[in-house]
Amino acid sequence: MKILAPILALLPLAAHSETASQPPPAPLVPSFTEATATSGVNQIYAGDWEYMVGGGVSTFDCNADARLDLIIAGGTNPAKLFVNNSAPGGDLAFVETQSGLEQTAVLGAYPIDIDSDTIPDIVLLRQGENEVMRGLGNCKFERANEAWGFDGGKAWSAAFAATWEKGQSWPTLAVGNYIDATQDMFPWGSCTDNWLHRPDGLKFAAPTPLKPSFCALSMLFSDWNRSGTPSLRIANDREYYKGGQEQLWHIDPGKEPTLYTDKEGWKRLRIWGMGIASYDLNFDGFPEYFVTSMADNKLQTLAEIPTDGAAKPTFKDVAFPKHAIAQRPYTGDDLNPSTGWHAQFEDVNNDGLADLFIAKGNVDAMPDFALKDPNNLLLQRTDGTFEEAGDRAGVAAMGLSRGAALADFNADGLVDLVVVNRREPAQIWRNTTKSASHWLDLTLTQTAPNTDAIGAWVEVKMPDHIQRREITVGGGQAGGNLGPVHFGLGTLAQAEVRVIWPDGTQGAWEMVKADASYRLEKP
Amino acid sequence: MQRRHFLALTGAAFALPALPLHAATSPSDTLLTWYKLVLELVRHTATYSPPVAARAFGYLGLATYEALASGTGATSLAGQINGLTALPARPDGVYDDSLVLHAVMSETAQTFFGNTGPTGQRAMAAMRDKLGAKLHEGVAEDVAARSAAFGLSVAQHIEAYSKNDGGADVENMGFPRDWPPPTGPEYWMPTSTIVQQQAPLLPAWGENRPFAMPVGAPCTAGDPPIYSEEPGSEFYKQAMEVYDTSKALTDEQKAIARFWSDDPMLSPTPPGHWISITLQILHRDGTDALRAADALARVGMAVNDGFIACWVDKFHFNRIRPLTYIRRVIDKTWEALLITPPFPEYPSGHSTQSGAAAVVLTAVFGENFAFDDATHADDGIKPRHFADFNAAAAEAAMSRLYGGIHFRAANENGLRQGAEVGSFINALKTLV
Repeated sequence: MKILAPILALLPLAAHSETASQPPPAPLVPSFTEATATSGVNQIYAGDWEYMVGGGVSTFDCNADARLDLIIAGGTNPAKLFVNNSAPGGDLAFVETQSGLEQTAVLGAYPIDIDSDTIPDIVLLRQGENEVMRGLGNCKFERANEAWGFDGGKAWSAAFAATWEKGQSWPTLAVGNYIDATQDMFPWGSCTDNWLHRPDGLKFAAPTPLKPSFCALSMLFSDWNRSGTPSLRIANDREYYKGGQEQLWHIDPGKEPTLYTDKEGWKRLRIWGMGIASYDLNFDGFPEYFVTSMADNKLQTLAEIPTDGAAKPTFKDVAFPKHAIAQRPYTGDDLNPSTGWHAQFEDVNNDGLADLFIAKGNVDAMPDFALKDPNNLLLQRTDGTFEEAGDRAGVAAMGLSRGAALADFNADGLVDLVVVNRREPAQIWRNTTKSASHWLDLTLTQTAPNTDAIGAWVEVKMPDHIQRREITVGGGQAGGNLGPVHFGLGTLAQAEVRVIWPDGTQGAWEMVKADASYRLEKP
Repeated sequence: MQRRHFLALTGAAFALPALPLHAATSPSDTLLTWYKLVLELVRHTATYSPPVAARAFGYLGLATYEALASGTGATSLAGQINGLTALPARPDGVYDDSLVLHAVMSETAQTFFGNTGPTGQRAMAAMRDKLGAKLHEGVAEDVAARSAAFGLSVAQHIEAYSKNDGGADVENMGFPRDWPPPTGPEYWMPTSTIVQQQAPLLPAWGENRPFAMPVGAPCTAGDPPIYSEEPGSEFYKQAMEVYDTSKALTDEQKAIARFWSDDPMLSPTPPGHWISITLQILHRDGTDALRAADALARVGMAVNDGFIACWVDKFHFNRIRPLTYIRRVIDKTWEALLITPPFPEYPSGHSTQSGAAAVVLTAVFGENFAFDDATHADDGIKPRHFADFNAAAAEAAMSRLYGGIHFRAANENGLRQGAEVGSFINALKTLV
């Protein structure tokens, strides 16, 4: 692994020495300051029934300036690209920029370097035809459906994931589709097919329908069993499927997709599956999955870790014992059950433990569910349980939230937050925590194909365990992050890092200094 | 007035995908088409646990029956069922019964499912507008207006009647926000890791006013076996039966358990299953609208009263579920085939209301009335054939043992309790 010069290196924060020597027994509650009014971010996810889901936001660097820009879906409003002009350590500052992405009917957008030219491309999920938008550099994009053989179809597309299958120079895209919107009196049971767009050389083959499909709202390629071949996890909305359930697909190179079955250990789960987040929370090398729903969220962990042989896809729900269930508002006077959408694990207080943000918001005006439903910020404690801190941290917004993204927008080593709301302006917060610990931001890169090393695992050695993150494209609610992965280091002023690259190549452990961003390049 | 044109139904089983709009023009088609939507609304409205669904079916059936009875000389249920006062009489004039029913269902659906989500609201509006427009074709304006007004008046009367029965307001999906659990090994304990379900569902539901069962004198399932952890005890034997059965389930037993699982939010619920059975028969046999409404009203009231009686006993005995007992006493790793419902075990709600529905349907359609049940065809579950309603109810009861969520006593005594509830419904005079 070649560690290139730090992209940005900041001095430790002033209060660091005070917190490093005596870690607090309870998680450090971060401080977020809303910067919507001054940030330049101005977008409303609009639309009626056809836009009750979606509302995604993604972060990526569209102009190679090492700052994360934003693409925010608009529903019936055009999608907008916001170029990040934030100064390192300064206020959040974005500029709405004409990019070619200003399409209407966009529910979500995912960045991915499809053609491996090191310039991010964008997949637009739409009510109607989906589009792949080739990045031209300097935050300009052009439609590439025809050039890349991409059949955008015509559906209510609400979920997306991507992977590079072994031996391929072109990615495999999965698109999750929702209800048949033409069915007004009896829409239930009208889930339309999801699509798997596999490569045909340096373009896409005709999409393969993933039958059965059960109204997907989130998809994620993830190597749940560390076999080296990611599977496709799909969160499905039980409101609309009949005979359906959550799904895990074998996507094996050169083979037709097949579902994991109960004979293999898959256990039927039927929820209002809406968003997927993954992270190795218990440091056992296998990712946990948080899946949002209504009145009940799931935190899934493997039921059994085999000492030898392959893990079975049998997951148990530990949301309740981990205090991560987040099933109803924790502040305000509305005690009805919650509705969860985007979920994302990030270490917002740099204590070395991943925290969990959940965007919440009523579907529309369902009186049996909270109408004032605050977003959650669940801080992980040292025993692996979580505690709610959304209100104390200043992010307990009550809008009809949908998509969200947590990323460091101003290169100060603190993860910031942007949230998309239905029918109301998107909101953005700067993480202004004064006493955060050490951190690392690591960006992976390799030669074409798959320049962003999707499918790699990044590891950071802690005194008594290893933090691990899988590099993925997908999950969340109609949006995700392409760019650096963030690690909190707690008191460590330096740490050993290594990468397990998508082809299985295992890099060497190398020591890096904390509080900096690094680009890790495959040798 | 009878409609001049009766368009043919498609011949599709009722549980199969939606009937085309043009089919719903006769009064019976109008009724069945609306009920098909109601089954979906039950499935897709978060408060619609089985007792709540049963209540809605009772009032919807009552409203449609009364709206039609007034024009045919059939006997009103006012004065026969608890607290129902005389309904509005039909003013003189010509009526279109399809439009009367459409007005009744448009209003009552909105009343009972006003809390459904945006998709349900959209579906109700589409049904109201598109079906209403279709039904309006060829009908004189004064007839249409008179029919709509009368249907609305009946619906509003029933709505007012429903408001004070004790079940109108359901908060937090029916789960109390606080629940001080009684102490003792025999008592129910939460079996789920869902926060809401740390308290039992609708603990006060037994206090609701029933339709035909005497107020304050609910039918009872009798005492359950005495709680014991002694291997020779009856309670232990029944628990071992659940455990042993679960370890040797045949494919047929699994199919039976899943066929009658009828989980809330994933199916039309147990009372909706019996409404679905009724609808399939009405559709198959082309039953006229009045008789169809009578059958639906009787089944609806029966399952409602069945759940009230059952819930009285559930919270009187407050019994432990097999999942808790077996893990505590027999095998701490045991898993039931079905999801254990979040409320006390004894008696079995599905059994009680199935017993009530079977008794009522037998009275309506006769003994040895064979039928096929395709309620879950859309979910990929194969139809099942039954020699009569009692056979179906018995299978529904036994399914709970196969599923690992009830002991035998809860099923057998629940069936008997339901049959007693049904006898009160059967005593009501309607078509005479």
